[in-house]
Order: sequence, then C-alpha cells, then structure tokens
Amino acid sequence: MTTIVRRKRATALLALSLSLALSACGAQNASQNAAGPAAEGQAPAANTEASTAPPASTEPAKSDEPLVVYLNDFDEIIQPMFEQATGYKLELVSGNGAELASRIEAEKGNPHWDVVWMDSMPMIDQLGKSGRLLEGWTPADIGNLTDFASGLVPASGAYYPTGAHAAAVIAYNTKAFTKDTAPKTWADLADAKFKNTLGMADPAVAAPAYPFVSWFFQNQGMDAAKGYFDSLFKNGMHVYPKNPNVAKALTGGEIKAAALQESNAYALKNKGEPVDIVWPAEGAPASVRVAAIQKETKHLEAAKAFVEFLLDPKTQQELIDKGEESYFQPSAKGVEPKADRAADAKLVVAEAAWAGEHEGEIKQWFADKAVK
Amino acid sequence: MLAVLFVLILLPLLAVVIQVLFPGIFFGTLKLGDLSLLLDIFRRPLWYASLKNSVLLGLGTTVLATLLGGALAFARSRWAFPTARLLDVSVWLLLITPSFILAQGWVMFAAPDGLASQWLGWNGVTSMVFQPAGLIAVMTLSKFPLAYLTVKAALEWRVERLSDAARLSGASPWTVLRTVELPLLLPAICSGAMLVFMDTVGDFGLPASIAAVFRFPTLPYSIYSALYTSPIRFDMAGALSFYLVLLIALAMSVQLYAMRKSRFDFLSSRAVKSEPRRPAKGRLLLALGNSAFLAAAIGIPLGSNLLMSLQGDSSSGGFTLEHYRALLHDDGRLAQGLAHSLEIALAAAAIGLAVGFLTAYVLNYTRFKLKKTIDVLSLVSLAVPGIVLGIGYIFIWNQAWLQPIGLLLYGTPWILALGGVAGAIPVITRIMAGAMAQVPERLLAAAQLQGAGFFRRLRTVLAPLVKGALLSAGLTAFGSSVFDLALSSVLYPPNYMTLPVVINKAFEDLRFGYASAATLTGAGLVVLIILSVDLLARGTRRRSRRTTS
Repeated sequence: MTTIVRRKRATALLALSLSLALSACGAQNASQNAAGPAAEGQAPAANTEASTAPPASTEPAKSDEPLVVYLNDFDEIIQPMFEQATGYKLELVSGNGAELASRIEAEKGNPHWDVVWMDSMPMIDQLGKSGRLLEGWTPADIGNLTDFASGLVPASGAYYPTGAHAAAVIAYNTKAFTKDTAPKTWADLADAKFKNTLGMADPAVAAPAYPFVSWFFQNQGMDAAKGYFDSLFKNGMHVYPKNPNVAKALTGGEIKAAALQESNAYALKNKGEPVDIVWPAEGAPASVRVAAIQKETKHLEAAKAFVEFLLDPKTQQELIDKGEESYFQPSAKGVEPKADRAADAKLVVAEAAWAGEHEGEIKQWFADKAVK
Repeated sequence: MLAVLFVLILLPLLAVVIQVLFPGIFFGTLKLGDLSLLLDIFRRPLWYASLKNSVLLGLGTTVLATLLGGALAFARSRWAFPTARLLDVSVWLLLITPSFILAQGWVMFAAPDGLASQWLGWNGVTSMVFQPAGLIAVMTLSKFPLAYLTVKAALEWRVERLSDAARLSGASPWTVLRTVELPLLLPAICSGAMLVFMDTVGDFGLPASIAAVFRFPTLPYSIYSALYTSPIRFDMAGALSFYLVLLIALAMSVQLYAMRKSRFDFLSSRAVKSEPRRPAKGRLLLALGNSAFLAAAIGIPLGSNLLMSLQGDSSSGGFTLEHYRALLHDDGRLAQGLAHSLEIALAAAAIGLAVGFLTAYVLNYTRFKLKKTIDVLSLVSLAVPGIVLGIGYIFIWNQAWLQPIGLLLYGTPWILALGGVAGAIPVITRIMAGAMAQVPERLLAAAQLQGAGFFRRLRTVLAPLVKGALLSAGLTAFGSSVFDLALSSVLYPPNYMTLPVVINKAFEDLRFGYASAATLTGAGLVVLIILSVDLLARGTRRRSRRTTS
C-alpha cells in the first residue's frame, strides 16, 4: 500500500518538476523578450507578422478553428442559434464589460477575439479610433436598420448596432409609492420629497451606469450635469457598485426608488416583486449594443456572417422571445419588442465619440465623489 | 525556488507595475510613463481615502480575526466538546465561499426589510452592520478561518514538559498559557495574522457590497474603477497595486520585529500528539458558546443564502426547489463549470503544495540571502486583486512568439492552473511556515549526520512532523481555488467556464436564487471532498500509529 502511494508521489513530483522547469525557461525567455524588442522598437513588426502568418503547425487543436466572440449577454443562446443557421463553429468568452475590456486591452499585441459584441458603444468606438477594428465593410442588410439605429453607425463602418436598451429607467417600490407619488422625471430625483430614498449604480464600476450619466453630461453640459448629480448626492442618493445591488436594495427596502437598468427593472417586475417602472418623458439614456470585427481576424468570413446574423430581424426576434436580456429596442425593422415593454419607451443616447473621449474625466469625477 | 515564485507571482505583477513606467512596453512602444501617478495617492481624494480605509479595515480585521481564530483553535485542540466538529466544517465553508456570496447573505440579513428586522424584529441591526465598525465585524467573522487553520496546524504537537515544568514551579494555568504556551505559538499566530491582513486588504466583494450604503472605498475598489473605464488605466491599477505590495512589506517588517531574536523550535522527542480532552467542567458551556458563535458566523450569511435558494420567484410565494432543479437542467453548464473548477483546483493545490513546502523550508532552515524577498513575494498574490494578476498573466503568457514553441498558455486551461498556483502559494507557505517553525533544525541535522539525503530528510523527518499542516494547507488551497472568481474571469479560455464564473453570471442576471443554490451545492460538494480526504488521512494515521504500538 505504502509503496504504491510512494510511487504515485514520485510520479507526481516528477511531473511537477518537469512543469516547473518548463515554466522557468518560459520566464527567462519572457523577460528577455520584454526587454529586447521594446528597446529596438521592432515589436510592432513582429506582432503583425505573427498574426498574419498562417496558424502554426504546432497547434493541431485549431484545425477546424471556431470563431471567437467576446460578449456580455446572450451567451446562453447565441451559440446554437448561430451554428445551426450558418454552419460556422462559435466559441464564446462572456464576462462583464470591464473584464472583457481588460482582456481586449491586455491582448492588444496578440488578440484572441474575432468579434466583440457588447453594450459598450463608447469603448468600442475608441477601439475603432485606435485602428483595431475592421473598417469600410458594410453588412448586406444595412438598409433594414431603423432610423434610430442607422443614426448610430459610424462613418468608418467600424461597428454596427444590434439593439439598444435603457441604461436606466425609474423603478420604484410599490409598497412605498403609487403611480402618482413616484418620481416621474430625472429632475424629480433631486426633489427633497425623495430625500434618502433613492439609489443608482456607480458609474465608475457598473457598465450600464456610464451611458446613463454621460447623456446628462453631453446634453446639459459638463457644469450643469455636475450640478445635477451633486444635487442628487445632497439628496442622499445611495450609490451601489452594480445594478444587481441596486435591485437588491430596492426590494430589500434600503431605498424606495432607483435609476435602474431596464432589463433588471423588468426582471424584478416579472418575478412578482413589488416594483413598477416609469419611463421619463424626456427619454431614458440608452446603452447601445454593437458588434465589431477585429481588424486582423483570421476568420473574416465567419466574422462577417456573425455580424450579419445579428442584424437579421429573425435573430433579433428570437433574442427578444427567448433571450435573458430580452428587453431592448431592436435595431432591425420588422422586429416586435417585448409586449410588456412600455409603448412610449423613449431612448436618448450620448454620442459615442463624445462619450468615449470624456469617459475618463467623467468617471474620475464620480469616483472622487465617492469620498465625500 | 525564487525562480518559480518569480514566474508565478512576481512576473505577472511586475508586468502590471512596469506598465506604470513604460505604458506601451508589451505592445512594442517604449516611452516613459507618468511617474507622478505614484504620488497621486496623496493628491487624488479617492485614492488617499481608499488607502486610509484599507489600512483601517486591514488592521481592525486582523487584530479581531486573529484573536478570534487563535482562541477558537486553542479551545478546539485542547478540549473535546459536542459540536466541535461542526466548527471545522464551518471554517471550511467560510473559507471557500466567494466573498460576494457571503456579502449577499449579510446584506439580506441586515437590510432594512431584511430577515433581522422582518423575522426577528431587530431594527437596530441595519445601522449596526452598515457602518465601518460593522464592516470590520463582518470581515472578522468571514476571515477568521485563516487564523484558525494556521494556529490549529501549529497546535498539532505539544511538549508537555514545558508546561508541566511551569506548573510545578507554581504557575497558574493562566500564567502558563500567557508566558509559555502562547509565546511558543507566536510564529503561527503571526502567519495567521498576515494571511488575514492580506486577504482583507485584497478583498473587493465584501467591502463593496456592505459599504455601498455608507461609501467606504478601499484600494481594490480604486483599482477596479481604474480598470472599469475606457481607455483602461492599467497604469493606475499598477500604481495602486504597488501600494498594496508596500502595505505587505510593512506588515512583514512588523512581524519580523515582533519575532526578532526569539527561537520557537521547541519540538523534541518528548513532543506528543495533542488530543482534545474532555474538560472537567464547562463542556456544555463550550458547546453552547460554539453553537451561538456558529449561528452568527455561518448561520447568517449562509442561512440567508439558503433561504434565498429556496424562495420562489415571487417574494410572497412559498418555498420551492425549482432553483435546485434548474441546476440540473442548465445544459449541464453548472456541472461542466464545476468539473473545470475541480480540475484546476486539484492541479493548483498539488503544484502549490510542492512549491509552498519548499518555500517554507527555505524560509525556516536556510541562510539564503534573498529569504526576506521570498517571504514578501509569497504573500503578494493574496493581496493584489486577482484581476490585476490576471492582466499580468495575459501580458506575459500571450506574447506572439510563444506560439511556435507551444508555450502560448493564455487561451488554454493551463493559464488557470498557473493562476491557481499563484493564489494557493500564500496560504500554503504561511501554514507550512507556521508549523515548521516548531521543528528544530537539529532534527534534520541529526538525520543528515546519519547520511540521509535532502529528499530523504524531507520525506522521513520533516514531512511526518508537519503532516497535519500539509494536509490543511493542501485542502485550503484546493478549496479556495475552486471558487477563485477574479482570476478566472479574466483568464478563462473560450468555452471553458468555471464554477465561479457561472455563479457570478447568474448573480449579475439577477438570478439570485439560482446563484445561491449553485454556490451552496458547489460549496457543499467541495467541503464534502475536503472532509472525506481529511478524515481518510487522519484515519489512516491513527491506524498506522496503533499498529506500530
């Protein structure tokens, strides 16, 4: 018995030392590399070479190479939908906006993704500006975009919108307010009537909270928007890291009304929580979901097929009927949004380029507010 | 040894910090970054406040959790009382449950409409929990297991002669405890305290959830907010991580100062295995105290989650098992995630154990010059948020030239195992170092004189003496890497979701019931594995001792 154990242990030790030796060499090389090409300024050439070169023969696993898509929603259904419709193989990396943005940024020298499909238009607009997205390609069915959606397509054609949803609507606890007493406009949130009863997600951490606040900053101007949010903070606005925490606080009673992301608000309502939704008449700032193709993708045909697939009214209808983030305004004509989504739902959106340029500044302003 | 630590922990971290100096270095541009970022911590109100808050939170939690964990470990290994075994189970549960799930439990309990006020009528709880002191209390109840395990591992052997001598000289039991037994445990207590400190200052989930109500930004919060922006500020994340590392180095110097000149290697041939004894009186009191304590530390966070997992979609509706049924029907996503996580954790624990054991050996028995550096390094990965370490791993292991030589580990499950090892090393090294401090070098020297080679000495002398610690260390590392969220969420390869990623996804989709059910099921399974391994290992040891005698 003991000898067997011992032998096993020895094997394990052997395997271990091998792997350690292996990783140790890797490190040595890595540090050499980090210093070497950077000093000579040759790395960009090396990078493009590597990415345009045909896949190395040492990678047999990639023989039927799948399309790799980074996305933050719909990962539960999109894979079989796309594979059945087109015959291409699809692999997904799903995560929240910041995780995926971190990955995309850290992979800059050797990207692993072919298509990114997220509701972070300003971030993707910046990717396009830095020359990392395929430009100048137009999907076949582009004429079928709604007016709202085609207004969002950049001149470069670097990305295409597949839908938009409210980054925040006003959601209130029906135990505390009625239709008449609940806040109805964004300005109402600063009203002393609602002191210490309101909540929102932190624009510095929650992905949908930035599209929400950036609209105020573009629409009202920097100083007026700062004044507006200052008045909210003075009114005792609770700021939670993410929308799920806001939802929790709203049903748990810490707050009685909130600026809450659209699908979260409807999810609460559909679960039977005592929550109702107000769409402010001046419009709800929108988060736009866009799809973009990585400039040096090795799977261009599949990537184009994927983007066209997303713009297809049939696909968008299926996402609305079966998806988890199903409350959104489709970007293609002839698609019916959720029946219980308010008919007067009006979306407004900050310009992607403007929002992208001012993102750092605005988020820092909010982050520093956290201290006071 | 240094090389391994270097590759696993330092290199990725260095990569992130180097970003501060040369922002484009990994993408082929060399230009000097803005070094004034490092000084910004005194200029930017958010950064300064988060540094202050992190230090306050870290110190408060460390003191309380070490006292609590140490006292519990002491009571547990000295006295036998009913419910003692329950304490072990709870410690494992707390250790492996991701902190955002624990936080969810506390928030559910203490919210104004939460369980405490609704079911128990305790209206004061909300204001007690949602304030800095409350946060420290909650953190203490969540982090004490690290101190408990470290101290308990060191209490495996007792040299009764030392205490007996003191007693014979007329010292009261209290004096013996204070002047003989506790001082000998100092290395283990310090190790435990360091672990608690690191884990507390590096935790994002718990403070972020509890503190949301009163705004209490910590360093990890500031790091996240630098990453959650576009363009991403890797340089800011690097600068802030640098301060976390600085905090560790400071804490280490305090520890070194506390232990200067003293010797703790008291084990001799007279050492006996400690077995809990039945106390003359107070058994019932111990059992009652233990139960009450566990009701708070485990009952509140996990109990709330249990309720959540049993609640139907409507909050007014009754109880249901639908979330548990959903676990099985989710296209096997959860089962697959669990399988992936278990694989990764097993690899991480095995490799980590070997590295950690040798690291602890170097720290205790060699006069290696860079010992202190190793000491600090071995802790770094616990305090630096996983997402930062993860980005560093991408920088290092995703360079195009690695592909032809087959070492492009990013994009394969190996990168997760590598990250898991980095996460496991601090815990393993600390637990091992605490236990090894008691084994005098002369025992090893004696074996060497008899001609035993290095590995034979380790295998036949050192390993048996610290077997309990080896076991705890391996299991702790295994358990905590199963649920390591931050690292795996930035590193997992396409179509290779891990358990925490699946759970977090459910949480962000507001499927709280499902998230709770998945966590409880996963955690239950992992604790079951841990306990059976523990029982099996201890069982065989007891039997083997019986046969030799």
